[in-house]
Amino acid sequence: MKQKIMPLITIIALFLLGIFMPVILKQYHLNMLTEIIIFALFAVSYNLLLGYAGLLSFGHAMFFGLSAFVTAIAIIHIPGLSLWNVILIGVGAAVIVGFIIGGLLLRHKGSYFALLTLAFNALFYAIATKWHSVTGGDDGLSITRPGLDLGFTSIPLDSLTNFYYLTLVIMGAAIVFCWYFTHTAMGKTVLLMRENEERMKFLGFNTNISRLILFTFTGALAGLAGVFYTLHFQFVSISAISPDMTTAVLLMVFVGGTKKFWGPLLGVFVYIILQNYLSNITDRWPLVIGVIFVLMVLYVPGGLSDVIMNVWQRFFEKKDNNGGKSATAEEV
Amino acid sequence: MRKKLVYGLCFLSMVLMLSLPAFSVAAEGTIKLGVTEPLSGTFKDIGERYLDGVLYAAQVINESGGLLGKKVEVVPIDSELKPDVATRKAQSLILKDGVKFFCGGTGSSVGAAMAQLAEKQNAIMYTYGMDAASMTGEKCNKNFFRPGGSTDGRSFALAQLVVKMGYKKIAIIGQDYSFGHEALSAFKKRIAQISPSTKIVCELYHPAGTKDFAPYVSQIIAAKPDAIFTPNWGNDLTLLLKQGRPMGMKQKIFDYYINDEVTIQGLGNDSLIIGSMGAEIWTISMPTKKNEVFVAKFYKEKKRWPSYCAGKAYTATMFWAEAVKKAGSTDIAAVIKAWEGLSFDGPAGVWTMRAGDHQGQVPYWYTEIVAKNKYFKHAFETPRGMATAKSVEVPLAETGCKMK
Repeated sequence: MKQKIMPLITIIALFLLGIFMPVILKQYHLNMLTEIIIFALFAVSYNLLLGYAGLLSFGHAMFFGLSAFVTAIAIIHIPGLSLWNVILIGVGAAVIVGFIIGGLLLRHKGSYFALLTLAFNALFYAIATKWHSVTGGDDGLSITRPGLDLGFTSIPLDSLTNFYYLTLVIMGAAIVFCWYFTHTAMGKTVLLMRENEERMKFLGFNTNISRLILFTFTGALAGLAGVFYTLHFQFVSISAISPDMTTAVLLMVFVGGTKKFWGPLLGVFVYIILQNYLSNITDRWPLVIGVIFVLMVLYVPGGLSDVIMNVWQRFFEKKDNNGGKSATAEEV
Repeated sequence: MRKKLVYGLCFLSMVLMLSLPAFSVAAEGTIKLGVTEPLSGTFKDIGERYLDGVLYAAQVINESGGLLGKKVEVVPIDSELKPDVATRKAQSLILKDGVKFFCGGTGSSVGAAMAQLAEKQNAIMYTYGMDAASMTGEKCNKNFFRPGGSTDGRSFALAQLVVKMGYKKIAIIGQDYSFGHEALSAFKKRIAQISPSTKIVCELYHPAGTKDFAPYVSQIIAAKPDAIFTPNWGNDLTLLLKQGRPMGMKQKIFDYYINDEVTIQGLGNDSLIIGSMGAEIWTISMPTKKNEVFVAKFYKEKKRWPSYCAGKAYTATMFWAEAVKKAGSTDIAAVIKAWEGLSFDGPAGVWTMRAGDHQGQVPYWYTEIVAKNKYFKHAFETPRGMATAKSVEVPLAETGCKMK
């Protein structure tokens, strides 16, 4: 019983906390929090591939960036487009591309998969850079956020607070859905496939189809994050679709830890705050983040969520200590 | 045990890092000026030289009692030459510290994005080194000012010089992106206007960052021009000279950014560049009284000569300060109104800010690279006259700017 209610309480508590944030935080921090929430969805979707399915992708930014660009292009070229349609078009593009590329990749695993995703990402990056007349190339694209039309009333999204609430609700719902997904039969299939694919095949599962569904699904989620990235910054440039963006999300997920659902959320939080403050202090902030990454891989491969779980157990759950063995190992 | 220690240390360092920002304190009662320049990476050197000029301008303003009684505080922003990074950091500064004024000199892409941000956030962005003509053309907006040169102005000035010196067959070569195309098309346009008998015998575009110029150089040589025009800068200029001269490309070169001491040092062989000519909005050798005073004072304090980047950034920032002074407040609408049509008699002659497109109407100073000069041991510039602002003016109707 406790197992079932706890997550629900946590989710509601987090939403309530989120609702009061604009009252507590200054605009600057609210701006950062909005960014954190957007990247949280991106990281969670990446972790579904990396942590849950064991697929290391170096091309997750192609969905993120593609949707970000499609959003900007749609807003610029279709006057009067409503926000809902913008989201629909943006996510739709990611779904289509995810389905096509997923179809080409679904037989590959391990380093083949990693390198092929990198190749596809590079392809999209090249298109974004070269197709100057549409994507703006190096110059990027600037947009103005459309208002939110609710049918009976419309809410202007010029103010950061309004946009923050929209982000909180939609990104939050998507993240909760991801969490729910990991508890469905499909989610369990993905997990089992990681552990023993041969056995799954013998049991009659078509693992290729499952992988295709997962790839398209995570692509769509990354796309949704991409749509909000453009809406948030009201600007998109080739950075959004560059392999650097994949590296960034990989770092976020790794810093937070891949073994827990909430690991990437923590990772995003730490990464973005660090990035903001470090880049104020030194121009060499990527070096510091790189060193942190190397240290984490060497000494704390479980990420920060692992550290926190260990500390938690040491101080609060002494009785459950099962012979010094880490209880956090595989709990997804 | 060791593992516990590592966990403990990781946790501790995380807490420490997250608490660091609590120690940063912002100064109150100052006018903050954010400077977006690449302060890391390949173009770090250019960014730092521009920043040098803005810092010096702030120092001069502060020494003479500040601006509207307040000190000018320069906030360097490392743009990494990426528009998204620059706007993101700038947005943070607007929200956190209430910064309202921004400037920058490197990367027209950064400038275009900053101009949009300035319009949305009611701030002012000005540039002294981002030259793409379109920024005060079809992309113009009321929160963006260019107290500096444009590809149009530079190309016009050099085209006039080429015609005046009597060259009849010109080869033109530029980088294959918007900047290169805008520069070359403006040059061709001016040549066609003032001297229809002058022929463009060869027009080439190469990707920015080309390593092998041999195929381009052979085409230039085959076309037998009298002179060569190029807007190339940095490595694309260095390699064009380094590979072209030994192949037999002996013609005089007319380039935008010829008086760059770092490029000349990088060549390692003065004979490659001696005789080349350029046009700039600020050069160290401009024979004006105010410039001589500025250069001498700069040298006395810093024991080095101001780079052309520093000079441009300094002059533009003094012009901005003049506008703020005239407005009498830091209110953005007031400063915009005050700057429009304002004239500034600075080191580089009289600069006037055209109200219609916010493009500074500035004279261009010609220089030629000679072996003996009073600034450096290596070859450097000597003055060769100037093109007045009027002579290189682009009529407002032709800029494509529709200011809202």
